[in-house]
Amino acid sequence: MTSLISQALWIYFYITLIGLIAVSVYGIVVRPNLLKKIIALSILGDTANTFIIFLGFRRGGAAVPIFPSIKPTPEELLWFKETAVDPLPQCLVITAIVINMSVTAFLIALAIQLYRLYGTLDVRKAVRLRG
Amino acid sequence: MGVIVKRPYSEVIIGLGVALLLVLTLFAVIAGATGFTPKEDIRPLAKFYLYYAINWNERKYWAASPEAVNSMVWDYRGYDTLYETSVFFLAIIGAIAVFRIPKVKDVFTKGILSGKGLSLIVKTITKLVIAFVLIVSIAIAVHGNLTPGGGFQAGSAISIATLLAIAAFSRIFLEERKITTKLMLPIRVLGVLGIGLLALAPGLIALSGVTSFVIQNQPKPWANWGFIPGIGPFWLSGNQFFYNFCEFVAVGAGFTVIYLIFSIPELIYKKVLGK
Repeated sequence: MTSLISQALWIYFYITLIGLIAVSVYGIVVRPNLLKKIIALSILGDTANTFIIFLGFRRGGAAVPIFPSIKPTPEELLWFKETAVDPLPQCLVITAIVINMSVTAFLIALAIQLYRLYGTLDVRKAVRLRG
Repeated sequence: MGVIVKRPYSEVIIGLGVALLLVLTLFAVIAGATGFTPKEDIRPLAKFYLYYAINWNERKYWAASPEAVNSMVWDYRGYDTLYETSVFFLAIIGAIAVFRIPKVKDVFTKGILSGKGLSLIVKTITKLVIAFVLIVSIAIAVHGNLTPGGGFQAGSAISIATLLAIAAFSRIFLEERKITTKLMLPIRVLGVLGIGLLALAPGLIALSGVTSFVIQNQPKPWANWGFIPGIGPFWLSGNQFFYNFCEFVAVGAGFTVIYLIFSIPELIYKKVLGK
Protein backbone atom coordinates (compact mmCIF):
# COMPACT_ATOMS: atom_id res chain seq x y z
CA MET A 1 0.00 0.00 0.00
CA THR A 2 2.75 2.43 0.97
CA SER A 3 4.68 1.67 -2.19
CA LEU A 4 1.51 2.20 -4.23
CA ILE A 5 0.96 5.61 -2.63
CA SER A 6 4.58 6.62 -3.15
CA GLN A 7 4.41 5.46 -6.77
CA ALA A 8 1.24 7.51 -7.27
CA LEU A 9 2.98 10.52 -5.73
CA TRP A 10 5.94 10.12 -8.07
CA ILE A 11 3.62 9.98 -11.06
CA TYR A 12 1.89 13.10 -9.73
CA PHE A 13 5.32 14.75 -9.55
CA TYR A 14 6.05 13.79 -13.18
CA ILE A 15 2.67 15.11 -14.29
CA THR A 16 3.36 18.40 -12.50
CA LEU A 17 6.74 18.78 -14.20
CA ILE A 18 5.41 17.93 -17.65
CA GLY A 19 2.42 20.21 -17.12
CA LEU A 20 4.71 23.08 -16.15
CA ILE A 21 6.82 22.50 -19.26
CA ALA A 22 3.65 22.45 -21.40
CA VAL A 23 2.37 25.68 -19.83
CA SER A 24 5.71 27.43 -20.32
CA VAL A 25 6.10 26.25 -23.94
CA TYR A 26 2.56 27.47 -24.62
CA GLY A 27 3.41 30.81 -23.03
CA ILE A 28 6.62 31.26 -25.00
CA VAL A 29 5.19 30.24 -28.36
CA VAL A 30 1.60 31.47 -28.32
CA ARG A 31 1.23 34.46 -25.99
CA PRO A 32 1.95 37.69 -27.88
CA ASN A 33 2.86 39.75 -24.82
CA LEU A 34 6.62 39.93 -24.32
CA LEU A 35 6.32 40.10 -20.52
CA LYS A 36 4.28 36.89 -20.48
CA LYS A 37 6.86 35.26 -22.71
CA ILE A 38 9.57 36.18 -20.19
CA ILE A 39 7.48 34.82 -17.28
CA ALA A 40 6.94 31.58 -19.20
CA LEU A 41 10.65 31.37 -19.97
CA SER A 42 11.55 31.67 -16.30
CA ILE A 43 8.97 28.97 -15.45
CA LEU A 44 10.61 26.74 -18.06
CA GLY A 45 14.04 27.38 -16.56
CA ASP A 46 12.86 26.61 -13.04
CA THR A 47 11.14 23.43 -14.19
CA ALA A 48 14.29 22.27 -15.94
CA ASN A 49 16.31 23.00 -12.79
CA THR A 50 13.82 21.05 -10.64
CA PHE A 51 14.04 18.14 -13.03
CA ILE A 52 17.87 18.17 -12.97
CA ILE A 53 17.91 18.19 -9.16
CA PHE A 54 15.33 15.40 -9.12
CA LEU A 55 17.57 13.22 -11.33
CA GLY A 56 20.12 13.21 -8.52
CA PHE A 57 17.61 12.24 -5.86
CA ARG A 58 17.90 8.94 -4.06
CA ARG A 59 15.10 6.89 -2.59
CA GLY A 60 15.30 5.77 1.02
CA GLY A 61 17.15 7.76 3.69
CA ALA A 62 18.40 10.51 1.42
CA ALA A 63 20.73 13.00 3.16
CA VAL A 64 22.08 16.37 2.06
CA PRO A 65 25.50 16.08 0.35
CA ILE A 66 27.20 18.03 3.13
CA PHE A 67 29.12 16.25 5.83
CA PRO A 68 28.34 17.74 9.28
CA SER A 69 31.96 17.84 10.53
CA ILE A 70 35.40 18.51 9.04
CA LYS A 71 37.11 15.47 10.59
CA PRO A 72 35.10 12.43 9.46
CA THR A 73 36.24 8.86 10.13
CA PRO A 74 36.49 6.47 7.12
CA GLU A 75 33.41 4.54 8.36
CA GLU A 76 31.38 7.74 8.51
CA LEU A 77 32.49 8.58 4.98
CA LEU A 78 31.35 5.18 3.71
CA TRP A 79 27.97 5.74 5.35
CA PHE A 80 27.86 9.25 3.85
CA LYS A 81 28.62 7.85 0.39
CA GLU A 82 25.77 5.36 0.68
CA THR A 83 23.08 7.78 1.94
CA ALA A 84 23.70 11.27 0.51
CA VAL A 85 22.01 12.48 -2.68
CA ASP A 86 23.94 13.24 -5.87
CA PRO A 87 25.71 16.62 -5.43
CA LEU A 88 26.54 17.02 -9.14
CA PRO A 89 23.09 18.23 -10.33
CA GLN A 90 22.93 20.65 -7.42
CA CYS A 91 26.31 22.09 -8.42
CA LEU A 92 25.10 22.60 -12.00
CA VAL A 93 21.79 24.09 -10.90
CA ILE A 94 23.07 26.69 -8.44
CA THR A 95 25.05 28.41 -11.18
CA ALA A 96 22.16 27.95 -13.64
CA ILE A 97 19.74 29.71 -11.27
CA VAL A 98 21.91 32.82 -11.02
CA ILE A 99 22.56 32.89 -14.78
CA ASN A 100 18.83 32.47 -15.37
CA MET A 101 18.14 35.39 -13.04
CA SER A 102 20.65 37.68 -14.79
CA VAL A 103 19.47 36.71 -18.28
CA THR A 104 15.86 37.37 -17.19
CA ALA A 105 16.98 40.78 -15.94
CA PHE A 106 18.56 41.45 -19.34
CA LEU A 107 15.38 40.39 -21.16
CA ILE A 108 13.26 42.60 -18.91
CA ALA A 109 15.59 45.52 -19.65
CA LEU A 110 15.06 44.92 -23.38
CA ALA A 111 11.29 44.69 -22.91
CA ILE A 112 11.12 47.92 -20.89
CA GLN A 113 13.19 49.72 -23.51
CA LEU A 114 10.92 48.36 -26.28
CA TYR A 115 7.88 49.67 -24.43
CA ARG A 116 9.51 53.04 -23.86
CA LEU A 117 10.45 53.52 -27.49
CA TYR A 118 7.43 52.00 -29.26
CA GLY A 119 4.70 51.99 -26.63
CA THR A 120 3.86 48.31 -27.01
CA LEU A 121 4.89 44.92 -25.65
CA ASP A 122 2.89 43.03 -28.27
CA VAL A 123 5.34 41.23 -30.56
CA ARG A 124 2.79 41.20 -33.41
CA LYS A 125 2.76 45.00 -33.40
CA ALA A 126 6.45 45.43 -32.62
CA VAL A 127 7.61 43.47 -35.69
CA ARG A 128 5.70 45.81 -37.99
CA LEU A 129 7.35 48.93 -36.57
CA ARG A 130 10.18 50.60 -38.43
CA GLY A 131 12.71 52.74 -36.66
CA MET B 1 -6.39 48.25 -30.00
CA GLY B 2 -4.95 48.33 -33.49
CA VAL B 3 -5.37 45.78 -36.24
CA ILE B 4 -4.10 42.39 -35.06
CA VAL B 5 -3.44 39.57 -37.50
CA LYS B 6 -5.25 36.45 -36.28
CA ARG B 7 -3.40 33.16 -36.48
CA PRO B 8 -5.97 30.59 -35.32
CA TYR B 9 -4.66 27.56 -37.24
CA SER B 10 -1.08 27.80 -36.04
CA GLU B 11 -2.27 28.25 -32.45
CA VAL B 12 -4.50 25.20 -32.71
CA ILE B 13 -1.60 23.17 -34.11
CA ILE B 14 0.73 24.32 -31.35
CA GLY B 15 -1.89 23.59 -28.70
CA LEU B 16 -2.51 20.11 -30.08
CA GLY B 17 1.23 19.51 -30.31
CA VAL B 18 1.77 20.48 -26.68
CA ALA B 19 -1.17 18.32 -25.57
CA LEU B 20 0.20 15.39 -27.58
CA LEU B 21 3.64 15.88 -26.01
CA LEU B 22 2.03 15.88 -22.58
CA VAL B 23 0.02 12.70 -23.14
CA LEU B 24 2.84 10.80 -24.85
CA THR B 25 5.40 11.72 -22.20
CA LEU B 26 2.95 10.68 -19.51
CA PHE B 27 2.41 7.33 -21.19
CA ALA B 28 6.16 6.88 -21.55
CA VAL B 29 6.70 7.69 -17.88
CA ILE B 30 3.94 5.35 -16.69
CA ALA B 31 5.35 2.63 -18.94
CA GLY B 32 8.70 3.11 -17.17
CA ALA B 33 10.75 5.04 -19.72
CA THR B 34 12.63 6.91 -16.99
CA GLY B 35 13.01 3.71 -14.99
CA PHE B 36 11.34 5.39 -12.00
CA THR B 37 14.23 7.78 -11.74
CA PRO B 38 14.73 8.08 -7.96
CA LYS B 39 16.76 4.92 -7.51
CA GLU B 40 18.21 3.53 -4.31
CA ASP B 41 21.67 4.11 -5.76
CA ILE B 42 23.45 7.07 -7.38
CA ARG B 43 26.09 7.37 -10.10
CA PRO B 44 29.65 6.23 -9.30
CA LEU B 45 30.98 9.72 -10.11
CA ALA B 46 28.76 11.24 -7.42
CA LYS B 47 30.00 8.62 -4.97
CA PHE B 48 33.58 9.60 -5.81
CA TYR B 49 32.88 13.24 -4.95
CA LEU B 50 30.99 12.35 -1.77
CA TYR B 51 33.71 9.99 -0.59
CA TYR B 52 36.78 12.11 -1.32
CA ALA B 53 35.61 15.70 -0.68
CA ILE B 54 36.82 15.70 2.96
CA ASN B 55 38.71 12.39 3.10
CA TRP B 56 41.78 12.95 5.32
CA ASN B 57 43.34 9.61 4.36
CA GLU B 58 43.23 10.20 0.60
CA ARG B 59 44.36 13.80 0.41
CA LYS B 60 45.50 13.58 -3.19
CA TYR B 61 41.82 13.59 -4.23
CA TRP B 62 40.31 15.82 -1.59
CA ALA B 63 38.95 19.36 -1.82
CA ALA B 64 39.24 20.04 1.94
CA SER B 65 35.57 20.97 2.21
CA PRO B 66 32.82 18.95 3.90
CA GLU B 67 30.33 20.49 1.51
CA ALA B 68 30.42 18.36 -1.64
CA VAL B 69 28.48 20.89 -3.71
CA ASN B 70 30.79 23.79 -2.88
CA SER B 71 33.92 21.72 -3.43
CA MET B 72 32.55 20.77 -6.83
CA VAL B 73 31.62 24.35 -7.72
CA TRP B 74 35.07 25.76 -6.92
CA ASP B 75 37.46 22.81 -7.08
CA TYR B 76 36.50 19.71 -9.05
CA ARG B 77 34.55 21.57 -11.72
CA GLY B 78 36.01 25.03 -11.23
CA TYR B 79 36.37 25.94 -14.91
CA ASP B 80 32.63 25.50 -15.34
CA THR B 81 31.98 28.05 -12.60
CA LEU B 82 34.54 30.50 -13.97
CA TYR B 83 32.80 30.56 -17.35
CA GLU B 84 29.38 30.84 -15.72
CA THR B 85 30.66 33.81 -13.74
CA SER B 86 31.74 35.46 -16.97
CA VAL B 87 28.31 34.79 -18.52
CA PHE B 88 26.73 36.44 -15.48
CA PHE B 89 29.13 39.38 -15.81
CA LEU B 90 28.24 39.87 -19.48
CA ALA B 91 24.47 39.57 -18.95
CA ILE B 92 24.57 42.38 -16.37
CA ILE B 93 26.71 44.47 -18.74
CA GLY B 94 24.09 43.89 -21.45
CA ALA B 95 21.27 45.14 -19.22
CA ILE B 96 23.30 48.21 -18.23
CA ALA B 97 24.13 48.95 -21.87
CA VAL B 98 20.46 48.82 -22.85
CA PHE B 99 19.56 51.30 -20.09
CA ARG B 100 22.43 53.71 -20.77
CA ILE B 101 21.47 57.34 -20.26
CA PRO B 102 23.66 59.73 -22.26
CA LYS B 103 25.21 62.72 -20.45
CA VAL B 104 23.95 61.52 -17.05
CA LYS B 105 26.66 59.86 -14.97
CA ASP B 106 24.41 58.87 -12.07
CA VAL B 107 20.72 59.47 -11.53
CA PHE B 108 19.44 61.09 -8.34
CA THR B 109 15.72 61.04 -7.71
CA LYS B 110 15.58 63.28 -4.66
CA GLY B 111 13.42 65.96 -6.25
CA ILE B 112 11.13 63.54 -8.06
CA LEU B 113 10.47 60.84 -5.49
CA SER B 114 10.74 62.73 -2.16
CA GLY B 115 7.88 61.97 0.20
CA LYS B 116 7.07 58.72 -1.60
CA GLY B 117 7.12 55.28 -0.04
CA LEU B 118 4.86 52.93 1.90
CA SER B 119 3.42 53.50 5.40
CA LEU B 120 5.45 53.78 8.60
CA ILE B 121 4.60 50.22 9.71
CA VAL B 122 5.88 48.74 6.48
CA LYS B 123 9.01 50.90 6.60
CA THR B 124 9.90 49.91 10.16
CA ILE B 125 9.37 46.21 9.53
CA THR B 126 11.31 46.43 6.27
CA LYS B 127 14.25 47.98 8.12
CA LEU B 128 14.32 45.01 10.51
CA VAL B 129 13.98 42.50 7.68
CA ILE B 130 16.77 44.20 5.71
CA ALA B 131 19.08 43.92 8.74
CA PHE B 132 18.26 40.21 9.01
CA VAL B 133 18.77 39.66 5.28
CA LEU B 134 22.19 41.34 5.42
CA ILE B 135 23.33 39.23 8.40
CA VAL B 136 22.01 35.97 6.94
CA SER B 137 23.53 36.55 3.52
CA ILE B 138 26.95 37.36 4.95
CA ALA B 139 26.70 34.20 7.08
CA ILE B 140 25.76 32.17 3.98
CA ALA B 141 28.79 33.58 2.16
CA VAL B 142 31.45 33.04 4.81
CA HIS B 143 30.12 29.61 5.88
CA GLY B 144 29.66 28.52 2.29
CA ASN B 145 32.46 25.98 2.46
CA LEU B 146 31.12 24.34 5.65
CA THR B 147 27.32 24.54 5.56
CA PRO B 148 24.72 24.76 2.77
CA GLY B 149 25.38 27.94 0.87
CA GLY B 150 28.07 29.73 -1.07
CA GLY B 151 28.79 32.82 -3.07
CA PHE B 152 25.96 32.58 -5.60
CA GLN B 153 23.31 31.93 -2.97
CA ALA B 154 24.54 34.69 -0.66
CA GLY B 155 24.75 37.20 -3.52
CA SER B 156 21.19 36.45 -4.59
CA ALA B 157 20.04 36.75 -0.97
CA ILE B 158 21.68 40.12 -0.36
CA SER B 159 20.21 41.55 -3.56
CA ILE B 160 16.78 40.96 -1.99
CA ALA B 161 17.68 43.60 0.62
CA THR B 162 18.06 46.15 -2.19
CA LEU B 163 14.76 45.08 -3.71
CA LEU B 164 12.95 45.40 -0.37
CA ALA B 165 14.44 48.85 0.22
CA ILE B 166 13.33 50.04 -3.22
CA ALA B 167 9.83 48.63 -2.74
CA ALA B 168 9.23 50.07 0.73
CA PHE B 169 11.23 53.33 0.73
CA SER B 170 11.79 54.18 -2.97
CA ARG B 171 15.19 54.80 -4.48
CA ILE B 172 16.05 57.73 -2.17
CA PHE B 173 16.71 55.35 0.75
CA LEU B 174 19.63 53.85 -1.16
CA GLU B 175 20.86 57.16 -2.58
CA GLU B 176 21.10 58.64 0.94
CA ARG B 177 23.29 55.69 1.95
CA LYS B 178 25.56 56.27 -1.07
CA ILE B 179 24.48 53.01 -2.70
CA THR B 180 24.59 54.15 -6.32
CA THR B 181 25.44 52.48 -9.60
CA LYS B 182 28.65 54.51 -9.63
CA LEU B 183 29.76 52.75 -6.42
CA MET B 184 28.40 49.28 -7.08
CA LEU B 185 29.87 48.86 -10.58
CA PRO B 186 33.54 49.04 -9.44
CA ILE B 187 32.73 46.78 -6.46
CA ARG B 188 31.30 44.20 -8.85
CA VAL B 189 34.38 44.42 -11.07
CA LEU B 190 36.57 43.98 -7.97
CA GLY B 191 34.69 40.82 -7.06
CA VAL B 192 35.09 39.33 -10.53
CA LEU B 193 38.76 40.40 -10.61
CA GLY B 194 39.27 38.64 -7.28
CA ILE B 195 37.87 35.42 -8.73
CA GLY B 196 40.10 35.75 -11.78
CA LEU B 197 43.22 36.40 -9.71
CA LEU B 198 42.44 33.48 -7.37
CA ALA B 199 42.06 31.22 -10.39
CA LEU B 200 45.27 32.47 -12.03
CA ALA B 201 47.38 32.66 -8.85
CA PRO B 202 48.63 29.02 -8.90
CA GLY B 203 49.49 29.42 -12.57
CA LEU B 204 51.50 32.56 -11.85
CA ILE B 205 53.25 30.87 -8.93
CA ALA B 206 54.20 28.06 -11.31
CA LEU B 207 56.46 30.58 -13.11
CA SER B 208 58.74 30.59 -10.06
CA GLY B 209 59.54 26.91 -10.58
CA VAL B 210 56.90 25.13 -8.44
CA THR B 211 54.58 22.71 -10.23
CA SER B 212 50.99 23.91 -10.02
CA PHE B 213 48.08 24.42 -12.40
CA VAL B 214 45.49 27.12 -12.95
CA ILE B 215 42.53 27.00 -10.51
CA GLN B 216 44.39 24.54 -8.26
CA ASN B 217 43.18 24.30 -4.68
CA GLN B 218 44.89 21.49 -2.77
CA PRO B 219 48.30 19.87 -3.43
CA LYS B 220 48.26 16.90 -5.81
CA PRO B 221 50.93 14.22 -6.34
CA TRP B 222 51.80 15.79 -9.71
CA ALA B 223 51.60 19.42 -8.50
CA ASN B 224 53.01 20.03 -5.06
CA TRP B 225 51.84 23.57 -4.49
CA GLY B 226 48.46 24.26 -2.87
CA PHE B 227 46.46 26.58 -0.64
CA ILE B 228 46.49 25.85 3.10
CA PRO B 229 43.18 24.27 4.11
CA GLY B 230 42.75 26.26 7.33
CA ILE B 231 44.37 28.82 9.64
CA GLY B 232 43.99 27.94 13.33
CA PRO B 233 40.30 27.57 14.19
CA PHE B 234 39.19 29.02 10.83
CA TRP B 235 38.58 26.36 8.22
CA LEU B 236 39.00 28.03 4.82
CA SER B 237 38.98 24.93 2.57
CA GLY B 238 41.97 26.31 0.65
CA ASN B 239 40.77 29.01 -1.70
CA GLN B 240 37.05 28.15 -1.52
CA PHE B 241 36.35 30.65 1.27
CA PHE B 242 37.87 33.47 -0.81
CA TYR B 243 36.11 32.34 -3.98
CA ASN B 244 32.80 32.35 -2.12
CA PHE B 245 33.40 35.82 -0.75
CA CYS B 246 34.40 37.26 -4.15
CA GLU B 247 31.41 35.63 -5.84
CA PHE B 248 29.17 37.02 -3.09
CA VAL B 249 30.48 40.53 -3.76
CA ALA B 250 30.20 40.15 -7.55
CA VAL B 251 26.68 38.70 -7.60
CA GLY B 252 25.33 40.97 -4.85
CA ALA B 253 26.71 44.16 -6.40
CA GLY B 254 25.65 43.04 -9.90
CA PHE B 255 22.02 42.52 -8.94
CA THR B 256 22.05 45.74 -6.89
CA VAL B 257 23.12 47.63 -10.01
CA ILE B 258 20.32 45.98 -12.01
CA TYR B 259 17.66 46.85 -9.45
CA LEU B 260 18.94 50.42 -9.13
CA ILE B 261 18.73 50.86 -12.88
CA PHE B 262 15.26 49.31 -13.03
CA SER B 263 14.02 51.70 -10.34
CA ILE B 264 14.93 54.90 -12.21
CA PRO B 265 11.63 56.78 -12.60
CA GLU B 266 10.07 57.01 -16.00
CA LEU B 267 10.11 60.83 -15.79
CA ILE B 268 13.89 60.91 -16.16
CA TYR B 269 13.76 58.73 -19.26
CA LYS B 270 11.06 60.91 -20.75
CA LYS B 271 13.27 63.94 -20.16
CA VAL B 272 16.32 62.27 -21.70
CA LEU B 273 14.57 60.65 -24.64
CA GLY B 274 12.61 63.83 -25.30
CA LYS B 275 9.20 62.19 -25.37
